[in-house]
Amino acid sequence: MRYVKLPQENFEEFFNSLKRWGKLYAPVKKGDIYSFQNVETLSEITLDYTRTMLPPKKFFVRPKDEMLKLKEGHWEEANGTEPIVLFGVHSCDIHGLEILDKVYLSDPVDPYYKKRRENSIIIGISCMPDEYCFCKSLGTDFAMHGFDLFLHELPDGWLVRVGSVKGHEIAWGSEELFENVTEEDFHHFREFEEKRTNSFKRSLNKEGLADILDLAFDSPVWKKYERICLGCGNCNMVCPTCRCYEVCDLWINAYEAVRVRRYDSCFMETHGLVAGGHNFRPTRLDRFRHRYYCKNYFDPESGFNCVGCGRCDEFCPAKIEHVKVLDEVREGLQ
Amino acid sequence: MMLKLGVFELTGCGGCALNILFLYEKLFDLLEFYEIKEFHMASSFREHDALDVAVVTGSVSTQRDLNLLHYARNHSNYLIALGTCATHGNVQASVEGKIREKLEKVYGTKANPMRALDSTPIVQHVAVDYALPGCPYDKDEIYQVLISLAKGIEPPTKDYPVCVECKLNEYECVLVKKEIPCLGPITLGGCNAACIKSGVGCIGCRGPLPKEANPASEFEILKELGYDEEYIRRKFKTFARGELRW
Ligand code: SF4
Ligand code: SF4
Ligand code: SF4
Ligand code: SF4
Repeated sequence: MRYVKLPQENFEEFFNSLKRWGKLYAPVKKGDIYSFQNVETLSEITLDYTRTMLPPKKFFVRPKDEMLKLKEGHWEEANGTEPIVLFGVHSCDIHGLEILDKVYLSDPVDPYYKKRRENSIIIGISCMPDEYCFCKSLGTDFAMHGFDLFLHELPDGWLVRVGSVKGHEIAWGSEELFENVTEEDFHHFREFEEKRTNSFKRSLNKEGLADILDLAFDSPVWKKYERICLGCGNCNMVCPTCRCYEVCDLWINAYEAVRVRRYDSCFMETHGLVAGGHNFRPTRLDRFRHRYYCKNYFDPESGFNCVGCGRCDEFCPAKIEHVKVLDEVREGLQ
Repeated sequence: MMLKLGVFELTGCGGCALNILFLYEKLFDLLEFYEIKEFHMASSFREHDALDVAVVTGSVSTQRDLNLLHYARNHSNYLIALGTCATHGNVQASVEGKIREKLEKVYGTKANPMRALDSTPIVQHVAVDYALPGCPYDKDEIYQVLISLAKGIEPPTKDYPVCVECKLNEYECVLVKKEIPCLGPITLGGCNAACIKSGVGCIGCRGPLPKEANPASEFEILKELGYDEEYIRRKFKTFARGELRW
């Protein structure tokens, strides 16, 4: 991997140069949440944000996504894809996108997702964990791939890792803004990473988790939380790795319609409902438990379907804590 | 073949019938498929006929309402309960006590010349084919339902709480971030989280999400935030004392 240095005095110019590559989106503060929004100037964005409420997934699988238009009796594709640059993506979210890739880009490939992924540039940025983060325990606290450039904070600028050919082109295109990395910069980089490593307050004990979940299907812990959980689906809606969607047709006039897909949640009644009226998960208990199995168990070989971003905790109205639930399930077996 | 449509108003504020007219030019899309045989809010024209679709708004609050409801049911193939008065009874049904006592309290006499009844949702009296709550409902919803029916498609029902639409629109959660008492987690969605868009909490106007919602936990959450039990209880039953049944 190639490393270059972006001195602080060139940062703004670099930021502005990114607009050449596509419509620029970056984390912006909206009330008490953060959101990836289209930005024009550096002053609009919050570099030291914790996490956006909706993850960057929203650019590839949109919350409400028009797929097709019914016009004069024919379905037409509705989606314009435009080149975008996502600036300031955290490592956990880059891992989240890679988990989505496994789902949406393996056979059968989702054409909408694929086109948008191909037309996007991902610029990562380093971060400091808050009380909700547990990415380190899942190994998603550092991204080795899945980005074009990754910016690491230095006292006097940014250490930039170049992660792709596209990233190379971007850096090359603004060559005059970059410098070589010095030993001192590497020293600062390591210092930052060390400080970060020591700042995590939460960690998920992965050890034997698949076996534990196997044994804990009837654990009273699920029952305890089923009484607290509202079944509201907020945890799914904000999760960077949730992949479920619902498709419906909406009339726009007497003879024209659009086919829209939107995020779905396995807390909803029809999520487990199949033809004939059978529901695989008829109760809130089934649904509450299911989410934990989906995140941590289905295919432990290929990694977890959770990147430890902390969104489900931050946005759960019932203040249910993901790690705590799993810890209690583990303890319940001992 | 044009479908025959009737819109009936029982006791309510009239807003739900008016909301259909607020479709404005989109009304003409409906007229591609429907002949309107009765719609008091729109026209004095009225033709007694068998109806394909009857839309009933308002709650059963008088004997006249009940008779009209039975008429609509007996003369239609498909009956839609439209608005929270029709589906859950709304505020008038959440007033406790017997009708004679209420009359006395308000008018000083138990006499009941208007033949008032204790307000109840229409779903308590007749079988309905589709229930669309909301005070008022989102007008695009009835539009979708009526066009789907005209095309021979059984209109889908929503299975999710307001929170889902709140997140789809990326609104800041006022419950989590502002500690505003929001009933979104236990209230049936479909309004596109209109209240949260304005920065206020959901007041539950669409009634409780059927089946797996958890009002007990919502109660505890609001209590934890310092809201008074009586306040929460009143909030819960403002629109939907009558249970959702159809
Ligand atoms: S956000 Fe919390 S309360 Fe809502 S469904 Fe998820 S775990 Fe349950
Ligand atoms: S099943 Fe549930 S937890 Fe799993 S991806 Fe779908 S919504 Fe997310
Ligand atoms: S389960 Fe929770 S912590 Fe894990 S990726 Fe999803 S939102 Fe983040
Ligand atoms: S603001 Fe209300 S409706 Fe929106 S997510 Fe929060 S609790 Fe749900």
